[in-house]
Parts: sequence; C-alpha cells; structure tokens
Amino acid sequence: MNKKPLALKILDLVSIVLLIAATYLSIFVAPMERVMGNVQRVFYFHVGTAWVALIGFIFTAALSVIYLATKNLKWDRIQVAAVEVSVVFFLITIILGSIWARPAWNTWWTWDPRLTTAAVVELVYIAYFMLRQGLDDPNKRANFSAVYALIGGLSAPITFFSIRLFRTIHPVVIAGTNAEAEGSFSMSGGMLQAFFFALFAFTVIFIDLFWNRIRLGEAQAKVEEMKINAAY
Amino acid sequence: MFFQEVTPDTSSYMIAGFAITFLVLAAYVASLYLRDRNLKQDIDTLTELQKAAEAENLKMDKKRAPKKNAEK
Amino acid sequence: MATKASHPNSLSKKEAAVGGYFKAISAIVWKDLRAEFRSWELISAMLVFSLLALLIFNFALELDVKTRQSVTAGVLWATFAFAGTLGLNRSMSIEKDRGCLDGLLLAPVDRSAIYFGKFFSNLAFMLIVEAIVLPVYSVLYNTNLFQPGLIAIILLGSVGYTSVGTLLAAMSVQTRTRDVLLPILLFPVAFAVLLSAVKASGGFLNGADFAEISFPINLLIVYDIIFIAISFMLFDAVVEE
Repeated sequence: MNKKPLALKILDLVSIVLLIAATYLSIFVAPMERVMGNVQRVFYFHVGTAWVALIGFIFTAALSVIYLATKNLKWDRIQVAAVEVSVVFFLITIILGSIWARPAWNTWWTWDPRLTTAAVVELVYIAYFMLRQGLDDPNKRANFSAVYALIGGLSAPITFFSIRLFRTIHPVVIAGTNAEAEGSFSMSGGMLQAFFFALFAFTVIFIDLFWNRIRLGEAQAKVEEMKINAAY
Repeated sequence: MFFQEVTPDTSSYMIAGFAITFLVLAAYVASLYLRDRNLKQDIDTLTELQKAAEAENLKMDKKRAPKKNAEK
Repeated sequence: MATKASHPNSLSKKEAAVGGYFKAISAIVWKDLRAEFRSWELISAMLVFSLLALLIFNFALELDVKTRQSVTAGVLWATFAFAGTLGLNRSMSIEKDRGCLDGLLLAPVDRSAIYFGKFFSNLAFMLIVEAIVLPVYSVLYNTNLFQPGLIAIILLGSVGYTSVGTLLAAMSVQTRTRDVLLPILLFPVAFAVLLSAVKASGGFLNGADFAEISFPINLLIVYDIIFIAISFMLFDAVVEE
C-alpha cells in the first residue's frame, strides 16, 4: 500500500478549513432571513450538499457507460467511490431539508416531487450497495453495478416527472418562480456570498472524500487479489 | 406565516441541522478511517503469510534438491 | 447472372438471420410456457399470493364502496407488483438452478434474444395472473374492471414492469442474497411505472376525461420504450460469464 500523497493530505486540511469557514459564513456572516428566522441558514449546506451529490450521481451514470465500454475495473472503483460519497452527501441534504421543512412547512416530510424523487434516488443507490454485497467475483460485481447504476440514473428523471402528477410546494430559489411554493425567498448580498462559498466548500470536500474513497477501493482490490493468491 | 411581523425563533432547528451535518460527515470519515486501517492490517497479515509460504517453499525445495541429485 | 443470384441470396440470408432471431425468442417463450403448463408452479404461486393480498387489503383498508373508489387502482397495482416479483424471481431461479441459463448462453443465438424470450414469458405469466385477478376483483366488489381502456393501461404498466424486472431478476438470481434482493432493486427503479399506472388506472376508473390521464399514459409509453431499449442493450453484460 503506497503512502498517502502529500497533495491529498493538504486537501484534507483545506477541506476541514473550508467546512469551518462555510459554517462561520452561514451562521454569523449571512444576514438572518426575516420570515423563517435562523433555520434558513441550513439552506446553504442543503444546496451545497445537494449540488455535489447530484453531480456525483450524474458522474456515476457516465462511469457506468465508461466501465461497460472498457471493462477496466479501475472505473468500477471510481464509480463505487462516487456513489458512496454522493449517498452520504445526499443523506445530509435530505435531513437538512426535513429540518428546514418542519418550521417552514410545518411538517417534517411531504410527498412532493423533489422530496419523493430524492428519497427514491437515495434508495436506488442504497440498493446498489446491497447488490454489490451479494457478489464476490470482482468482474461480475463491476458489471452488475454498472448496469444497475445506469438504470437507476435513467429512472430518476422519469420518477421526477411521474410525481409531477401532483403539485409541488418546494421552492425554486435560483431560477423560475412557482406560485404554489412556500418558503421561497430572494437572496441578498451576504446570503449569496455564503451560498456560493458553501457550494465551493462542499465541492472541495467532495473531491477530498472521493479521492480518499478511491484509495480505499484500491486497497480493497489489493486485499481481494492477495486473498485469491493466498488460496492457491 | 407570511404576514407575521416578528421573525420566529428557529435557532434550535438550525443548531440541530448543523450538528447533524457534522455528525454524518464525522461518522463517514471515521468509517473511511476504520476500513482503511483494517485493510492495512489485512495487507500486513497477508504479506507475512505470503513470506512464510515462500520461505516454506524454499525449504522444501532445498530438501528436495539433494534427493533428486542422489536419485541421479 | 452471378450478381442476380447473389442478391436474392444475401437477402434471404438476412431474412434467415432475422427469422432465426424470432425463432430463438419464440423457442424460449414456448419452452417456458410448456414447462409452466405442465407444473403450474409459477402461476399458481402468483395467483394464490394475489388472492391473499386482496384478502389482506380488503380488511386492512376496509374496502367499502367509498374507499374502493379511491384505492382500487392502488390495491390492484400493489398486488400485481408483489406477485410480479414473485414470478420474476422464480422464473429466473429455475433457469439458474437447472443450469438452463448456461445452456441458453451456449446456444448460437444473440444474447438479446434470450432477454426478449424471458421478457415475453414473464410478461405472459403476469398477464395470465392479471387476467384472473381482474374478474375475481370484479365479482368480489361488484364492479366491472373489464374495460378496454383499463386493460390497455394494465398492459402498458406490465410491459414496463417486466422489461426492467427481467433484467434485474437475471442479476439478482446470481447474487448470494437472491430472493431478498429483487424487490429492493426493482421497486425504486419501477417506482415511476407503478405510480403512472396507478394514476392512469385510477383516473380511468373514476371517469376522468382523457386529457387528465393522457400524461401518465404518455409517461408509461416513454418508460416502456426506454427500459426495453436499455435492458436489451445491457442484458449482455449481465449474463456473460
């Protein structure tokens, strides 16, 4: 096992600093939102984690295609790292959304298209890990995972549209307006600053965790290989 | 809710939100660390086993080698 | 003369290839159907399960006239979905356990023909079960579910469900946790098709006008096309040794 590269060590530290800075900006620097109060501050982290998790899931689907085209296990290791980190981030997104929804919508959960799609997508990728657990052969596991990740990624937008059959109350903050949305607000200068900083911070944190997870996957592959060799 | 004059105090929700974020991230980092440590231990044991097996093979080879010569 | 002769010849070769493809598909479907009509183990399991599910739904939801109006579509589709996973699992396990899958893979046919063969036989099993559950439900609750529109919606929904279900079942039977895994893999992916099917059939049963149910029906068609196409392309990666 090769030693942890210096760049990754630096990135670890930078991620910690960025997380602290993003927290500071969203709690102490950004102005308080007048209608919802302090709970609105979790919004910066909510969108930050959602942003990277969704990019991670799209990336995952692309990796499926690359793996199936090349059949190189390297892509499988990258994919499982991307899925795992995205699942963790998306879990944070869902929990934060729920915490925000309680005072803003007066309920922890509602079966709105975005919330439902989020829950279904999270379940797809949890199922992805259950599928992997049931398989020992690395090539077969990689094949199946790539197939399932691709199907899951394709089903997500259709799931979203299918729940559009019901109305939505999720606010659209960045673009467009939704008359039925509750809890929307426009961002002022300090808020935008915290918002973009959180996006940046979570992108860096994602890359850091992603890199660490890829290294873990490489170590796992090495152990598997050694165990097979030891058996003979 | 939109016509309220006073901003509601929702600080406790905010604190819970940030606390959970840090908790989940910390738990994930801890799981990465633990899995990494276990794998390193596995690699160490396996390399030792491999070395032991190789040493055994060498011994066996050495034992076998003179016999072969004797047969000849 | 030579060109004249080769031209129809190559055409007939192509025709033969296409014909062989369809022959392979129909051979698999016939094999499954004949085996099933000898043992009845798959359909009978699905059917008994469906009837038990209806029984439980009846008492769990207290299906009186008023509730029935709003939940009939949901009850039907939940029953079909669970019975469907039962059938998909069994149909693929049989192939795996008896080594039929290996035999099929050795056969000189395109792998996707195997997919379509299994897809059509799974679809047939599901439709047979639905064709029995619908009249039973109609008799039990004194309604008529035999309406062409509803049957079309059920057909579209079943096609989408089995198209992706066949692919995922081919995967799940090869894992260690085989029987448990299929619903876990299938339900989040098939969520959209079940939801659209429930919406469309519910709207249809409650006499909504076509404009209202055309959106879920369109979604069903889109889902069917996308998932048949993608499963057809990916099946090769799932069965290769």
